[in-house]
Amino acid sequence: MVRVMVVDDHPMWRDAVERDLQAAGHDVVAVASNGREAMARFPASAPQVVVLDLQLPDHSGVQVTSMMLEHDPTVRVLILSASGEQDDVLEAIKAGATGYLVKSASSAELVDAVVRTSEGEAVFTPGLAGLVLGEFRRIAEGPADDPRDQLTERETEILKMVATGMSYKQIAARLVLSHRTVQNHVQNTLRKLQMNNRVQLTRWAIEHGLDGDAEA
Amino acid sequence: MRVIVTINMVGLNAYRRDNFDHPTAGLVIVLVLVAWTAAAIWLYHDRARRTSVLLVADLAIALAAMAATPVVKGADFNATIPGFWVMGALLAWAIHWHWKGGLVASVLIAAFDLFPRSEMDQGNYGNVFLVLIGGPIVGFMCESLQRMARERDAAEHAAAAAEERTRLARAVHDGVLQVLTMTQRQGAAAGGEWAELGRLAGEQERSLRSLIRQQDTVPTAAGGRVDLAGALEAMAAAHPVHVEVATPGGAVLVDERVATETVAAVRACLDNVLAHVGPEANAWVLAQASRDAVTISVRDDGPGIETGRLERAAADGRLGVVSSIRGRIEDLGGTAVVESGDWGTEWELSVPLA
Repeated sequence: MVRVMVVDDHPMWRDAVERDLQAAGHDVVAVASNGREAMARFPASAPQVVVLDLQLPDHSGVQVTSMMLEHDPTVRVLILSASGEQDDVLEAIKAGATGYLVKSASSAELVDAVVRTSEGEAVFTPGLAGLVLGEFRRIAEGPADDPRDQLTERETEILKMVATGMSYKQIAARLVLSHRTVQNHVQNTLRKLQMNNRVQLTRWAIEHGLDGDAEA
Repeated sequence: MRVIVTINMVGLNAYRRDNFDHPTAGLVIVLVLVAWTAAAIWLYHDRARRTSVLLVADLAIALAAMAATPVVKGADFNATIPGFWVMGALLAWAIHWHWKGGLVASVLIAAFDLFPRSEMDQGNYGNVFLVLIGGPIVGFMCESLQRMARERDAAEHAAAAAEERTRLARAVHDGVLQVLTMTQRQGAAAGGEWAELGRLAGEQERSLRSLIRQQDTVPTAAGGRVDLAGALEAMAAAHPVHVEVATPGGAVLVDERVATETVAAVRACLDNVLAHVGPEANAWVLAQASRDAVTISVRDDGPGIETGRLERAAADGRLGVVSSIRGRIEDLGGTAVVESGDWGTEWELSVPLA
């Protein structure tokens, strides 16, 4: 049983997701229809997984993601989005979300994704893998003194397979690796992406004199 | 401006009052002109009062004062009574009726200035020449300025409208997408006829989503370069095989020929999937772009190509589709590699960006 919070501004969707999760035996500890409600109810309900729609009427889902993770670094955020807003999805992942699912996924896929997210697994769609590959490619072609981490060849290879719709199991069989190793590689790509994001933010802060020493 | 030329007119006429044959009549004319100036300033102030009647009256008074000059000052006068004061009426005509108004007013003023004179010197000629040139030019410039202001207003209006349309479209699309995905989900759960409805809703949702994404990248396509990612999505959305397209995010700009040929090659890959695996097949297209090359991977979840079949087909001369894929990509200076296994069949098409 996983403690889940559902944040979505469409009541129809919120109810459907809640029903599906409850039918599968999970505990929906809170629901919210906007960023303000979500942040108000989040600390008390202490969910393990937050199922979050990126398009909220007040805050953006990206902001909500980073605020929640700042408050509780152990929470897992699964992004659920209807319109495939590419930039937003990538930003939410950089901010610390560990999963992404399009709303057209079936109930079974949703429940499965929530369970996998709660276990610390990275839930990718092929579309997200494509975006992550693109992001690392942009880093690789950036300035040579960029301290940000690059993907290893193996990680790139695995992400490419995820982007062409292969399951972790299929990838493990094709590369003669264990299922667990494939999962670790995928998680590593996310970890690097989030780390790079922090490096970039810190660098930006230093360049703009926003670090602690720059009071003068 | 009218005030300045009026003060100038009053001052000059006072200075040269000795030149008047009939000083009283001259004084009356000057006073009439001063009164008219005050009236004109008030009348012109409100847009609604700036009628043709006012403009004609303005010019008529200026011309009448000029025509009265020889009578009041004597035939061999030097300067007309209003002098530069006529500028007010001239510019009003130029501003209101543009170069045509400026031309008509300046020709009339020039005529009224020249005809009563007994003789003409360089100074008179210079003034008349300036009036004739200045009237139409000021009119023309006013016209250009007004047109530019109108065009700028129209452009600002169009930009604001487009932005608002985009915002509304997003809100509408999001709502429609939510309902379509919901229908798809609930339909699949209910089964039977509802499942079919759900499947159709799913198809519509995918094509709408792809359209939105393509629209996002439209303005960046410029200078004969087109967005390959958007073109692949458009093609995939229309293809009978269920295709999921993964792009690097943002537009992938390539030359139009590269885009056309690459999309055609990817379509041939998908046609191949349809022919060998069937309409139930799933396929994935991944586009990757670096500074000097694009790589497109196309994978299906079919049973794969059995070992030796491609070679046999080549020996029999039955490599239609495969050679069409290879041919297109090699024409672009790239490579096309096919791999197959129990995980399906995968094409990798690499095209250099010169």
